[in-house]
Amino acid sequence: MHQEMFCLARGIEAIRLMEGDNQRETSFERSDVLRRRVRSNQRPKLKRVRSARKGFEKFQIFEDDVNSIKNKYLKEYWKYVNRMKMMKIKTKTAKKNVDYLQMKTRNDVKSENADDKTVPWMLRWKYRRIHPVCDIRIQQVDGGFFERFGSLFKEQAELVEAQEQIEKKKVAEAAAEVAPEKIDDENFDEPAPTVESDEVSVSSTDTEAEVEKDPTQLIHTAWNIDELYSEVLYEILHNVGCDLSFEIGQTSLFSYAQDAFKISNDKHKHLMEVAEKKEAPDLMINVEVIEAKELHPKDSNGLSDPFVTLYLASNASRKYNSSVKPMTLNPTWEEHFALPIQENATDDTLCLEVWDFDPAESVKEKLGKVFDVKGLKGMRKLVKEIAVTATTGQHENELIGRANIPLNTIPASGMTMWYSLDKKNKITRQGVLKVRISFSSEKNNQVAEQEYRHLLRIILLHELEMSKVAPNWWFGTFSPQGAQLLTQHIAQSGLTPVEVAVCQYCVFAFIHQNHALSLTLFSNLLDRLSKPIQMGVVCDEDVKLFWDATKKLLPSCFGVIRKIRRKNINEKTKMKQVTDVLKILNHIHTLDPPTNIDLFPRAAYPWITNRIDDESNCNVPSALNDAVTKGAVDWLNHILENNKRPDESDFARLQNFIQIIHLIRSDLQKAIEFYDKLFQETVNFQYAKALYVFYQEKVTSLCEPEVRDICRNLKKIQYESTDGENAEDPLCDGTSLFELYLAVQKFATLGAGLCPADCDNFQIRNFHEWFHGGVAQWLDIAVYKALQRIEKAVELDRLTHVDNTVKYSSSAVDTLTIFYQVKVFWQQLNWPDVESCYSFIAKIIDDICRCSVFYADKMAAKVEGLGDSQNVYEKKFEITNEWCLAINNIDYVRETLEPFTNDLGMTEVIQKICDMKSPVDAQRCQQTLENVIANAIDTVRNKIIELLEVVVSKMVPSMRRLLVEGAELCEQDCNSIDRLMMYVDNNLGTLHRELNEENFSRTLSIVWDTLALTLKEIIQTNVDKRRPPSFFANLRKTLNLMMGSFKNPNEYDSCDVLSKTEQLLRIHGMETGDLIHEVHKNMQKKFKETTESPYGEISVRAKFQDTSLTVEVMNASNLMAMDWNGSCDSFVRIHLLPDHKFLSIEKPKTKTHNKNQFPLYDEQFTFTLTCDQRQIEDGLIMFSVKDKDLLGYNNRYIGEAFLAFSEIEDTMQYIGCLPQTHLLLDRASNSILASEEMRALEQRQGDKLAKEFLKKFKQRMGS
Amino acid sequence: MRSNSKNTLLKVVILGDGGVGKSCLMNRFVSNQFDEHSFHTIGVEFLNKDIELDGETYTLQIWDTAGQERFKTLRTPFYRGSDICMLTYAVDDKSSFKNIEMWRNEFLNYADVKENGQFPFIVVGNKSDVPVEEREVSQLELETWCNENSITSCIETSAKSASNVQEAFKMAVQYWLRLESRADKIDPGVNDTVDLKKKHSDNRSSCCTGSSE
Ligand SMILES: Nc1nc2c(ncn2[C@@H]2O[C@H](COP(=O)(O)OP(=O)(O)O)[C@@H](O)[C@H]2O)c(=O)[nH]1
Ligand SMILES: [Mg+2]
Repeated sequence: MHQEMFCLARGIEAIRLMEGDNQRETSFERSDVLRRRVRSNQRPKLKRVRSARKGFEKFQIFEDDVNSIKNKYLKEYWKYVNRMKMMKIKTKTAKKNVDYLQMKTRNDVKSENADDKTVPWMLRWKYRRIHPVCDIRIQQVDGGFFERFGSLFKEQAELVEAQEQIEKKKVAEAAAEVAPEKIDDENFDEPAPTVESDEVSVSSTDTEAEVEKDPTQLIHTAWNIDELYSEVLYEILHNVGCDLSFEIGQTSLFSYAQDAFKISNDKHKHLMEVAEKKEAPDLMINVEVIEAKELHPKDSNGLSDPFVTLYLASNASRKYNSSVKPMTLNPTWEEHFALPIQENATDDTLCLEVWDFDPAESVKEKLGKVFDVKGLKGMRKLVKEIAVTATTGQHENELIGRANIPLNTIPASGMTMWYSLDKKNKITRQGVLKVRISFSSEKNNQVAEQEYRHLLRIILLHELEMSKVAPNWWFGTFSPQGAQLLTQHIAQSGLTPVEVAVCQYCVFAFIHQNHALSLTLFSNLLDRLSKPIQMGVVCDEDVKLFWDATKKLLPSCFGVIRKIRRKNINEKTKMKQVTDVLKILNHIHTLDPPTNIDLFPRAAYPWITNRIDDESNCNVPSALNDAVTKGAVDWLNHILENNKRPDESDFARLQNFIQIIHLIRSDLQKAIEFYDKLFQETVNFQYAKALYVFYQEKVTSLCEPEVRDICRNLKKIQYESTDGENAEDPLCDGTSLFELYLAVQKFATLGAGLCPADCDNFQIRNFHEWFHGGVAQWLDIAVYKALQRIEKAVELDRLTHVDNTVKYSSSAVDTLTIFYQVKVFWQQLNWPDVESCYSFIAKIIDDICRCSVFYADKMAAKVEGLGDSQNVYEKKFEITNEWCLAINNIDYVRETLEPFTNDLGMTEVIQKICDMKSPVDAQRCQQTLENVIANAIDTVRNKIIELLEVVVSKMVPSMRRLLVEGAELCEQDCNSIDRLMMYVDNNLGTLHRELNEENFSRTLSIVWDTLALTLKEIIQTNVDKRRPPSFFANLRKTLNLMMGSFKNPNEYDSCDVLSKTEQLLRIHGMETGDLIHEVHKNMQKKFKETTESPYGEISVRAKFQDTSLTVEVMNASNLMAMDWNGSCDSFVRIHLLPDHKFLSIEKPKTKTHNKNQFPLYDEQFTFTLTCDQRQIEDGLIMFSVKDKDLLGYNNRYIGEAFLAFSEIEDTMQYIGCLPQTHLLLDRASNSILASEEMRALEQRQGDKLAKEFLKKFKQRMGS
Repeated sequence: MRSNSKNTLLKVVILGDGGVGKSCLMNRFVSNQFDEHSFHTIGVEFLNKDIELDGETYTLQIWDTAGQERFKTLRTPFYRGSDICMLTYAVDDKSSFKNIEMWRNEFLNYADVKENGQFPFIVVGNKSDVPVEEREVSQLELETWCNENSITSCIETSAKSASNVQEAFKMAVQYWLRLESRADKIDPGVNDTVDLKKKHSDNRSSCCTGSSE
């Protein structure tokens, strides 16, 4: 037993120190018993203090750095997971350990969110997020319902997003690589022209429905092939330019041509002869003098008047001069010259000289005429004339510098170059000159172009055939031989670059119809062509050819747009393709197609909608829009085709929609991320928006009717029928419906972000209305699942502290997790309609309240029976930690109710109601929500109180037994009081250690209330049993001892019942004599208050001297008439009270004064008291004034008066000198009769003294 | 705010067409006020009120609902777990009286009450203060309907003149008590089970169980 007390004291002391709670400290320090015990055990106390400190430090750490603990936890968690894996492998018997570990890990986490005050609630939740939600076994109750129904959706969505992000990134990188506007043709590293997959070829044939034609046939039908062939041979023979590369050589060119033209050997020989016989061509070198810069100044004014002279070294006498540009060092000429060259002129050199013009007289004269000449043409002529005059005449022109260009450095395709100007004997540069040089013949231009187109077609077809390049891959690179032949032809025919480009464009477009070429080719050609065409530089025939070619090219462009989703090529190529297409379309659109050409024939574009009758009102943007839409339509059909519902059940329908919306959304996502920018920048087309407009309409028409239908027919959730499999159905559908809701919600959000201006017109805008009927069911499902989980959580709770820093156990944490999940569900729902939102919040709060109450009930049920023990003699109950945990758990849940409700977004909703409706409405809604919350908190609090009452009521039997035992045996054995104290000590100690302050003090007051009630009961039954006063006195002693030990003195009076009970015990504990005296004292107090009396008044004097008491009865006045004659015969008797203490003293009386209502007694009495008697502090003198009966038998009371010893002076003075005391007479009344004291006397049935007193008392009342 | 844990909690829902005076009834009952120009109820409103009956205190948790059809999905979730349902009409509005049946059915459909047992419905004819010539439903009609539908409690009230408002709620609680005591006799100790399913069907949050030993 000593050991137990020791522990108790230690525990309480430690708590006291830990909490530093002054108030309770005093209440406990009052217990002498405890103090003694504590003092004798110092060492253990210290130990506890230290551990308490440690706990405190822990909080500090937590406050300092939540993150580090998170990390620590994560580490722990992975360790744990790994260990789990190991365990599984090792043995099944290790399951116990697994459980332990699981617990441990859980505890580790929970310990971190221990202190409510240091960490805001939200943070704790956040923190919990990294925790694997909750005990797996709780999830198993409903197959991870909440994980699917909310948090998991969220996580899933995040995961998908992350994946999308990765995908996006890949494509974005690809896009970035492709992005550079100018693609360097030479440097573009050509991707290996390998066939990627079968699909490629399939798709290519699919694009161009026609079967590829035989290339030879194509060539022959096109042109008289022999003629062209001999022309080519002739060109090879008469090569121009520097690039007759030695590696290639004539022979290789001949054989290449023969192959390309598919010419037999005999025919080749024959045609070769013809070509060799042909005369050498009339070749020219074309020189454009463009400009010069930084020329050396020659004139006195620091400038020059430069002009250019050019000639071939082999024919220096034939000089050509440019015009003179007066007074400049940076002249621009842009003048063309054609110099005939000899065959085999490769050794020749082109000489360029820049001169400063020094005009002769004659020139000046001519210049004078300038003003007479009209029109620009005349002016130019004149200037030229002047220049010629200047060169042929004797002149003193000064050379600025010259440049010599060997003809064999000039490529056949020509070149543009800056040359620096040198001068003999001068080291410094004299300036730079820019010239463009090319070769040409004097062929007919039309013929040359046509020849070139045919040659190009033949060579390209040949090359395509030879290299087997895959569709879409060829973008302009020929073999060296092919390139050589083409360049020679261009050079020898003197075709301009623009002419060449038109030809290429036409030929490529033609070939592209059968064999898809790289679209880059076209976009590059258009880059070069669009300006000349716009400026009207291109001749009409070529323009017509251009548009014909464009018409051939466009279908494949729109094909790319329509098939943008095909996964036949990699993203990078796809991006590139789309980029090219958009560039092409942009060029075409800006070129403004002529009206006489129908670019979009009905046959080629069956998918173009909104054509007005037969008119070709299509333009590039509208066709593009249609192509985009058509692509989406095709793709959607494809999705629908490939995602058929397995059946027509609600579940299948919902899952199907979810899948479809997901696919649509990811398509949109992709469109937004990659293509939209491209479309907008290149052709100013809002690609993603166009898609969204289409999709939202489709999604709405697809889902809305069915969702509404499903919501309308949702089955009620019947909680009763959970055992049946069929009960899962509505839950399942409900969950899927929610999943679909989230999917549509995401989709709608996307639209709002995409086109904020238009989203109000979208059909999808009110999507939530489709689901309206479902929300109530979702809430119901959520509650149902929550209740299930709570029950499981309670079942799994081991009723041990989550860790040593907190005072609740696992189920409390789990319950909060469940609440959190409900909240996540609500947040996910993100219901847009405010009015409904408000009602739903009210519902959720009410539901959470219901869950909390349910939890409280389960918790109470779980601990019921714990701590009870029974042996043969008695039933006992000890408060256990489990009980305390149960209370703390419920309290912990209650505490989170308010923050929880704040997280539901109440304020926002109220604010919106205020904006939408009126402040008054908002006020009322707010009031309602507050009421609901307060109600919830109250209800749960009452649950706690209820539980506390249960706990205390369980203590009652033991307490009652000990109390009664103590009262019976007190004199002989103090032990039972000790035992009672210990029992209460023990239990309160446990409560104090485990409960928080609020609940502990609540318990205390319940304890006192209950104790008071119990005592009252004990008093009642034991009075009936006629227990002696000592029994009650002992009870009272015990009670006072207990109150002294456990009760805070300032609470002492607060407990009304208790003080009343104490009073009752005091009364019942008194001996009869004392009790009677108590009655008299009450009478004395009461009489003193009377101010008026019908009975009359007496005047007395009294004094103490040493131990003697002298009383002088002087007179009476206004005595009540008692006799028939209207007067009275009175005398006064003197009693000293309490009676039993003055037994030795007689009760003297005055003489009787007949028929006198104002008698003068004037009698003096002296009492000699013992020392003890003199010491009686509450002694009283009672004067009873009686009416003497004739016979003396039946004296009747007139009235009584009291004088307390304390009112009597102790003096040596003569009594006659003392003032008189006037005492009003009064009688015992009913109120005295009804007092507890009198009642107690009445109950002392066997007590003679009491009986006698009561009998007399009635007489004294005047009855 | 309630303080006493010994009170029995009773959840009351007030149903009826919009404008019959449900909100006014509740406000009259709870705060003894009447507002002639009361606002339309948004969704639901909630108030608490203690009521004494035969020395026992009952805490009524009163849910006032919005009668319009568009609020249907907002109010029906609150039916579940109710102990008392107050069906309300206005005596000067015949159609609101006709709709009582619809309201009862809606309630039964969503409240998840025990099928066999009776449920404490009370029919309240509000606005009894209106002049006789404006009256469209007589007391007799009310009683007849209740008889036909075996509802034993009905009363005419006026939120405006405060007549019979307290009585109406008292009557409802009495009815509940009657049914409750009968149910206890039939199926004693049903509350002791810790079975989830049964708890749901009988999720009365009575707080007076802990007082006994
Ligand atoms: N004459 C009269 N009018 C009432 C009474 N109770 C409510 N009203 C009026 O009926 C209208 C609708 O009341 P309200 O409580 O908002 O009806 P609710 O829609 O059922 O909540 C208000 O204009 C009230 O003034 C009543 O007892 N007598
Ligand atoms: Mg209303």
